[in-house]
Amino acid sequence: MLETALAQLRFAASLVFGMRFSPRSLEQLVDSLRATQHEFGTIGSEGATLLGGPTLDEETRRAMQLRRFRTQAGRAARETAYYRRLFEHLTLDPARLRYEDIAHLPLTPKEDLRADPDAFVCHTARPYVRALTTGTTGWPTSILFSEYELRVYCALTALSALFSGDLEPEDIVQISTSTRGTLGNVCLAGACAHLGAMVSLAGVVEPAHTLALLAEKRHLAGKKPHTSVLYTYPSYLGELIECGLRLGYRPADFGLERIFVGGEVVTEGLKVRSQQLFGPARVLEGGYGMTEIWPFGGRLCETGHLHFEVSQGLLEVYNFETATPALPGEIGTIVATPFPPYRETTLVLRYDTGDVVRAPATPLTCSLRHQPATSPLLGKLSLSVRHEQGWTYPRQLAEALEALAAVPLPARYGCWAVPGGVAVEVVVRDDSPGARRRIETSLEEQGVPVRELHLLEDRRQLQHPMPLRGDLREQAFSPPVLDRTATNKAIVLQWQPEETRIGGQ
Amino acid sequence: MQYLSYAVVLGGAVCAILGGWAYFRRYQVSRPPIGVFNLKDLALMVLFIILVPFLYLVLPTWLAAGLLLLAALSVLYFTWEPVLHARRATWLAVCALLTADLGTAFLLGVRSNGFFAVNDAVLVMVVVGISNLWAQSGMKARDAALLGAFLAVYDVLATSQLPLTSTLFAHLAGLPLAPLLSWDSGRGALGIGLGDLLLATVFPLVLRKAFGRSAGIIAMVLAPGAMGMLLALPLQGVFPVMVVLGPLMGLQYLFWRRYRGQERTTWQYFQEDPLRRRGQQLTPQQAG
Repeated sequence: MLETALAQLRFAASLVFGMRFSPRSLEQLVDSLRATQHEFGTIGSEGATLLGGPTLDEETRRAMQLRRFRTQAGRAARETAYYRRLFEHLTLDPARLRYEDIAHLPLTPKEDLRADPDAFVCHTARPYVRALTTGTTGWPTSILFSEYELRVYCALTALSALFSGDLEPEDIVQISTSTRGTLGNVCLAGACAHLGAMVSLAGVVEPAHTLALLAEKRHLAGKKPHTSVLYTYPSYLGELIECGLRLGYRPADFGLERIFVGGEVVTEGLKVRSQQLFGPARVLEGGYGMTEIWPFGGRLCETGHLHFEVSQGLLEVYNFETATPALPGEIGTIVATPFPPYRETTLVLRYDTGDVVRAPATPLTCSLRHQPATSPLLGKLSLSVRHEQGWTYPRQLAEALEALAAVPLPARYGCWAVPGGVAVEVVVRDDSPGARRRIETSLEEQGVPVRELHLLEDRRQLQHPMPLRGDLREQAFSPPVLDRTATNKAIVLQWQPEETRIGGQ
Repeated sequence: MQYLSYAVVLGGAVCAILGGWAYFRRYQVSRPPIGVFNLKDLALMVLFIILVPFLYLVLPTWLAAGLLLLAALSVLYFTWEPVLHARRATWLAVCALLTADLGTAFLLGVRSNGFFAVNDAVLVMVVVGISNLWAQSGMKARDAALLGAFLAVYDVLATSQLPLTSTLFAHLAGLPLAPLLSWDSGRGALGIGLGDLLLATVFPLVLRKAFGRSAGIIAMVLAPGAMGMLLALPLQGVFPVMVVLGPLMGLQYLFWRRYRGQERTTWQYFQEDPLRRRGQQLTPQQAG
């Protein structure tokens, strides 16, 4: 208990003063929390309060964030080529920045980071891992992390999972995300190691294969008999639902309890339709996170806001039309600056994520109201459509389409501006008048000014397909063959004999 | 009159053990929200047990008395807090107890039975509080048995082989809040140390948590029985009580471990043996 108390003090010192984390203390905290949970069955809310970020009034928050921004900007100006050039050009001393000055600093665009990622790396840092993004909106962005950062992220992910009850030692966790999404996969696998959960990095393979893995019965002491937790993209979950229903799977074939989806817009329709295949398994949104600003990210509150922990970074919502900070109720993109001690290798200041949100129109009343917040993600700005009546965002289209059974999951669609509104193309099961009417109504309910609607029965006919991460498919040597035995109704996949030999022998 | 000393000291020990047991089933102390009592804490405790006597001997008397006061204050506060709930009432109770202890020490003298009566009562409360803090913080029966085994050896060295314990008692006995449950019948005071009492009180609690009610009750009977026999013996000077209590604890642990298997966690203990709130009806299962 004394060791735990010391680890708590060390952690609190990092949160309050911004000093470097002690990975050992963090890992000690994880162990202590596990021991507490094992002994007492639960971790009280007091425990979460002890390890949560500080609750600050507005003035203190600004003072603390300014101090951390100056520290990070000072280090970036001293140690990275990109920001040295920038601050020399601006003839600005980062140590003398005022809070009001931050909004006048130029944004760091994604393109600059993509073009020369090494220019953002501190020359005193010791990079260990090069994490690539999945490249949904172009060439993958590359971010370097140190061993210290990864250890800290794994321990923080484990702490967060312990408090939320997301992961338990008895869980069998399947990660069905792209293996190129290095950082998320490594952190989650590391957290599982801390928590004692078993993890399987299944990747984004053929849905039939993934379903067979999920339905597989396991016989491991101390573990649940089926995969109990699935981490995946919403679009891939949609594929699993369609494929599973087509293959005759039923909820009883699985033991899934929680399905965490993220990396794309998560729709209410997807959550509802997931029940057809996975029954009572809860579909949970993982909040908001991206490699470039990791671990600074958004956490969903009970009312659906995305809240950002003030000690981890500075959140700004930037109105891309007026090029000013978004006023309450206005749309903007998330601009983020991760703070020390969370980032020390690749530094970004005022990074424009290109992710569109709305600034809250009214004062917050939710349980996380002490933290800055935005609306849920509306989608990527580069995938949003500007038209005569304003903007249409991917969330509006996805919410409208995935709520309808006529649209197979994941909703595959395209959208472009036409006079008076937008044209929408969407893949449907049958191009019938009834389906058309329902889709038009649903789109209008979501505020999409649809002027042309093209229903297609083949996804290859899409003119402007929205990129989906579920399509980041990993190939296998031979396709799986389905074998359903009559006696136990278990669904077994067998691999066909290899016909091709590697190496041409 | 020696019988009176015997009755008061043994009665005080029984009060501490029964009080600890009753408290354990009725009140939850404010334990640290993160962390469980483990072997590292046990090692640290052993280190303290070895070092603290020397510390008390080298410190000036006023500082030793100050440390005793501070320790008693914090222990009494967390002991009374779940009972009285209101912060003001808790502080009032704690201050009243400490004032009574200090007052009788200064007014009646630290060798008077008036002081012994108050100090013994305070000591019983301190023992109830500390034993419950340990047990409710997840102390395992194994940890308590190991501590008992260590103290059995340590007690022989510190009490029988070295003059450490007797010197310490002589040093602290002249102070208020002295860690000794004692009574003077006119022919010399009879007493039992805080450490012995603490182990005798905590062991039934951790056994109950780990192995069930029967294990706890047997421990609760054996400890005062052993202490009663020792107090009744015509021993001169300071006797290392843990030499008897330690092996007794070890044997009980080994028996229950073999008989019942794995120790229960606190969570399992509450699942199988839920606390009954005041006024709550027993289920037929519980009644049966």
